[in-house]
Amino acid sequence: MATAPKDFRFGNFVGSLVWLIFWIIVIVSLVGLPLIFIIFFYIPLPYSNGEVITPYLFLSMIVDPTRTAPIIKFIIHTDFFRAAVFPGFAFAAMIAATTIYVERKFLAKMQLRTGPLYAGKIEGILQLIADGFKLISKEIIAPSGADKPIFWTTPIIFVATAAALTVLIPVAPGWVGADLDVGLLAIFAILGFFPLIALLFSWSCNSKYPFIGGLRALHQMIAFEIPFILSALSIVLLSGSLNLTDIVESQYSFWFFIIAPLSAFVFYISSLAELERVPFDLPEAESEIVAGWLTETSGMIYGLIQLGTYLKLYVLAALFVILFLGGWMGPQIFPQEIIPGYTGEKIYNATVINGIFWFTIKTFGMIMLILLPRGINPRIRIDILLHTGWYKLIVLAFINMFIVLAMIYGGVITPGGLQ
Amino acid sequence: MYVIARENKKVENKMTDTNTNTESNTNNTNKSSNLKIVESDLKIENSLYSELSSQFPDKVQLVYTKPKRIKIYVKPENIIEVAFFLRSHFGLDHAESVCGTDYPNENVIEVIYHLNSYSREELSQIIFALSTKTDRNSSYLPSLLPVFKSVEYHERETYEMLGVYFKGHPRNERFLLPEDWADIPPLKKDFRIKGR
Amino acid sequence: MTNEFSESLEKKLEETTKLGLEVVKEATEDRLMKLSVGPQHPGSGHFRFTIKVDGDYIVYCDPDPGYVHRGEEKMCEYRNFIQNIPHLERPVIHDSTNITYSYSLAVEELLGIEVPRRGQFIRAIASELNRQVYTLYWLAIYGIFLGHSTMFMWPAGDRELFIDLLTALTGARVTHAFNIPGGVRNDIPDGFKEKCLEYVNYFEKRLKEYENIFYNNPLFRQRTENVGILTKDDAINLGVTGSVLRASGVAYDVRKVEPYDVYNEIDFKVQYMKTCDSFARAYVPFLDMRESCHIIRQLLDKMPESGEVRMKLQSNPKGTPGESYKRVESGRGALSYYIVSDGSSRPYRVKISVGSFRNILALPHLLVGSRLGDMPCIYWALNYWPVEADR
Repeated sequence: MATAPKDFRFGNFVGSLVWLIFWIIVIVSLVGLPLIFIIFFYIPLPYSNGEVITPYLFLSMIVDPTRTAPIIKFIIHTDFFRAAVFPGFAFAAMIAATTIYVERKFLAKMQLRTGPLYAGKIEGILQLIADGFKLISKEIIAPSGADKPIFWTTPIIFVATAAALTVLIPVAPGWVGADLDVGLLAIFAILGFFPLIALLFSWSCNSKYPFIGGLRALHQMIAFEIPFILSALSIVLLSGSLNLTDIVESQYSFWFFIIAPLSAFVFYISSLAELERVPFDLPEAESEIVAGWLTETSGMIYGLIQLGTYLKLYVLAALFVILFLGGWMGPQIFPQEIIPGYTGEKIYNATVINGIFWFTIKTFGMIMLILLPRGINPRIRIDILLHTGWYKLIVLAFINMFIVLAMIYGGVITPGGLQ
Repeated sequence: MYVIARENKKVENKMTDTNTNTESNTNNTNKSSNLKIVESDLKIENSLYSELSSQFPDKVQLVYTKPKRIKIYVKPENIIEVAFFLRSHFGLDHAESVCGTDYPNENVIEVIYHLNSYSREELSQIIFALSTKTDRNSSYLPSLLPVFKSVEYHERETYEMLGVYFKGHPRNERFLLPEDWADIPPLKKDFRIKGR
Repeated sequence: MTNEFSESLEKKLEETTKLGLEVVKEATEDRLMKLSVGPQHPGSGHFRFTIKVDGDYIVYCDPDPGYVHRGEEKMCEYRNFIQNIPHLERPVIHDSTNITYSYSLAVEELLGIEVPRRGQFIRAIASELNRQVYTLYWLAIYGIFLGHSTMFMWPAGDRELFIDLLTALTGARVTHAFNIPGGVRNDIPDGFKEKCLEYVNYFEKRLKEYENIFYNNPLFRQRTENVGILTKDDAINLGVTGSVLRASGVAYDVRKVEPYDVYNEIDFKVQYMKTCDSFARAYVPFLDMRESCHIIRQLLDKMPESGEVRMKLQSNPKGTPGESYKRVESGRGALSYYIVSDGSSRPYRVKISVGSFRNILALPHLLVGSRLGDMPCIYWALNYWPVEADR
């Protein structure tokens, strides 16, 4: 517990605070302000009410809320913002962080425990931050015979690849980092990198357990790649497009889950395997091969790989929602206007907010469903796993695809809705 | 058979002094009034020994029979055939433990195989102690591994704890002790614990 | 077949040497990867075994115990009969009542004393409660070995019930030092009987949930059924004991075949299965726990209301020269003590024969030929406690 030191004097404390504020003011005025002006001199600035926003105007706009709106609107429509902050990385990382906390509490409640409790006054809400600090402050140990360049870069490549996936996810009408016509293919193409990264990392460790774990990861991900793609194929047939936004919009009348439940099941199981989650956590099987391909990770290398894994979890849950649960489609519950009678430039868009809301709710539900098996299942064995992947799931996916094809050729449905 | 009928019988506490225990004994008998052990007639135990001695008249030697316990002594050169007989005719199919005891005064190490049976129900309660002795300075014994598969680790442990080399055992080597153990076998009586 | 094959190999070899190419022979050893499981491995405990894997199959296994060997048998020779009790229970503190139980029985035979009837009942109750504690802990670890985290948490939580009871009974959570030659250390506290019945009733409800959630889980069955078959003959030959033996179809329980203390008055069945696989080895302890609940109820019912719990001993009792071999059924099977006394106040030789040490003989037998993924499943189903085996 924090207690005041023996020679504590309140005057000294106030004095130190004043001293701190003084230095902040000095640094901001001498360094910060000139820097802002230099930056704004070079980057192009938007128009507002017919005039170009100069740095001077920009600073004056900050104090006037009505004139701030166009700037914010300008910023949030830049590609960088979309990739880095909202539909992209930061949003996904926020969901990933929430997922970690929710997973720990959720699992704890299933197991009659309390879970994180002490960091943060309310139910251990700051546990994740504490863990993050711990991971950052830990020493990173590279094994003596390791292939150092690969060992250091693969965790970063892992996170980067996972972050690349988040850009392709549309969360609301028009809100997607990269609106590709081959969005679904792009996602599967990027997902194909992960076994390679796992194998590279495990090989570079020069250790036996990571090697076995890496081989297991390779086997597992390749075995589940095919049912994974096949299960998404029936959705492509139904919607007639590979563009994820189009796929969502073709579900305005009904969710594809109704027509392709088997595909949804296959997709769910395959994403569990792709994410190496229980019961398919063989590459990290603790009691058999220590920690699998993560055995030699320490400190922030482990943290980065965990971050990448949870980003992947978000992406696959979001993809399930997009393909089967109608993406952002849902009843309009947000009002059209927040401030009645406001006529200035608007940031608030009821449709978009509504889309984001429903998308996030569905994605979280899906994430919970992916977390659920961890509490109720033991690990599966590798031969059963491969058998499941190669024999059962592919057949199931094909069955559902034939059903969909029959319905389309029989004239029951056309791409986009009932006839 | 060994029957426990719990009736009135005075229980003797041999270890207390004769002067002081009269009172406590009377107390005990009053309170635990229905305690009694009826000595069993040791029928199975004696029949086992008589059958064995008829087979090996001058090779086995009875040490004692107690309820459910029988101990015989066999010379090392005869132990394999006796053990084989015990296994094939009596159905004593496994060893519960192999225990070596060091007797520096008699200059022998006694190795006892505690045999028991899973397959014969009437013998499953009997512990058949098959003992043999070897010289303390050059301890060699034939291994019973060909007869009882279950003695493998027990004999290995006896080798490292008492230095008894089992001829025919594939691995007379370190088992429980540290890899760098460089002292005499610790369960010999001349190995002293520090400070004792 | 083999001759033709080797001849064709030799031909190829000659051709390659004629061409001037370098010949690299692939030996069978090159295919194998040697893995060290333990003592730092999370799937072994204080125990190490080296395995060699050919692909996913284990082809070689060599157990190497001894990491927690502390020479209990030697230590016994330096302390008198009473002083030996606290350190003898260290090897398996989760089952500390049972490991001192057979010691007390053996010493009582040497000292020629009889435990009062109430003391015998209290001993049996403590022994049954402690067996539950041990089995729950074992089940919890089995869960974590299979990657089932809920299966770790639930038994580990329910274990606290019995630890509470034992704390009320003995005053310590795990290291009780409760059984002493001549009886038990103290009488049961007030209200113990009601509390015990209440907890046992609750625990039986939980056992039903365990069965539904853990044992009937299809993935659990897939992992354990038909894995690590130890046939009846092999089990008998290898001399395994306890739940491993009973899972192989031999109905052998020391409480039944050689009833000690009050067990001949208790009506219970020996639980055994005939499937001989890891599932049976995992299920038999569960059945034992269920049977143990019945035994505890009967013991509480039949226990005399009052009486001595302990025979008063002289302060430093001397044994009669001779030897004694006594065994009880512990959580891991028959646990026997062989004690030689030379008439002094200290035992001349103490030999502890524990179930763990006997069961580990089956490990190489079962592991060779199985898959690497089955390794924890087979290993921990052997009901092995490394510290106890090392003594």
